[in-house]
Amino acid sequence: MKAYKVLEVKQSVFAANDKEANELRLNLKEKGVFLLNLMSSPGSGKTTTLQRTIEALKDEMKIGIMEADIDSEVDAQTISDTGVKAIQLHTGGMCHLDAAMTKQGLEGLEIDEIDLAVLENVGNLVCPAEFDTGSSKNAMILSVPEGHDKPLKYPLMFSICDVVLINKIDVLPYFDFDMEKCREYVHMRNPQAKVIPICARTGEGMDEWYDWLRHEVQNWKKK
Amino acid sequence: MHELGVISSMVKTIEEIIKEEGFTEVQKLVLEVGELSGVIPHYMEVCFPAAVYKTFMENTILEMETVPGIVRCKDCGREFNATAQDFTCPECGSHNMEILSGNDVMIKEILCS
Repeated sequence: MKAYKVLEVKQSVFAANDKEANELRLNLKEKGVFLLNLMSSPGSGKTTTLQRTIEALKDEMKIGIMEADIDSEVDAQTISDTGVKAIQLHTGGMCHLDAAMTKQGLEGLEIDEIDLAVLENVGNLVCPAEFDTGSSKNAMILSVPEGHDKPLKYPLMFSICDVVLINKIDVLPYFDFDMEKCREYVHMRNPQAKVIPICARTGEGMDEWYDWLRHEVQNWKKK
Repeated sequence: MHELGVISSMVKTIEEIIKEEGFTEVQKLVLEVGELSGVIPHYMEVCFPAAVYKTFMENTILEMETVPGIVRCKDCGREFNATAQDFTCPECGSHNMEILSGNDVMIKEILCS
């Protein structure tokens, strides 16, 4: 007769992914590779922000980019044109990347020579927040047309981000976007989050973002 | 589909748990789904068969229990049942909440052999 047993588990459904993510993070720390997980909704300006960031930092550090999308090579092509190594990851319909997929992508980037790896996650404010990718830090972009109330509507996303970039501030005069309310809502979800208003198109505010990245990459490399 | 990824991740977690205990099959799985977790039990049920297709959990029965989303207002102290979409305090209108329960999706128990 078969032996049956009831296991009382009380473990998160994400436990396997969390474990894999922690292992990946430790491995990246040892190698001195800083992995940034960049998240946002579709069309908020992730790729444009990355393009400018690469132009500004590529002479001082080795950068590699992973573009995650459900399909297409559009973003990887755009990033390749900046001269850094970029690979496209297809999630095959999945709305997010998990630690295992991120690890595979990093292998494709040959990370041993890289200082800063950026994972441009699938455009989505829900699922990417639930899956730890093994990143060193999480960043997200909220663009002005999306509205200042998003931290209230997508609490988890804002609670896991170390830095929130408010993009497209050049169109602020045309939208009812309240920057102070937005800061207040972000800090409600996450008092430690750094909020940086930027315009990736004109470059306004980008220096503060570059400084944050430089500082974090250097910090990560310290033993 | 959001729930599909959640189940795929869960299958990996469960595989590790039962392997450690020396079992290979799962007859029944009981999940505790928090009201604030962003996971909708109905969609879990709908995509469960597809997510476990041709895995060791293909014949597993899925049961779910809902855990209420209880939050405490950090401004006035009122505790109430919030929804994922609305964190507004009915007492003082604040959005500043501390989540007390219902934020997770937990594996409660597994019947395995």
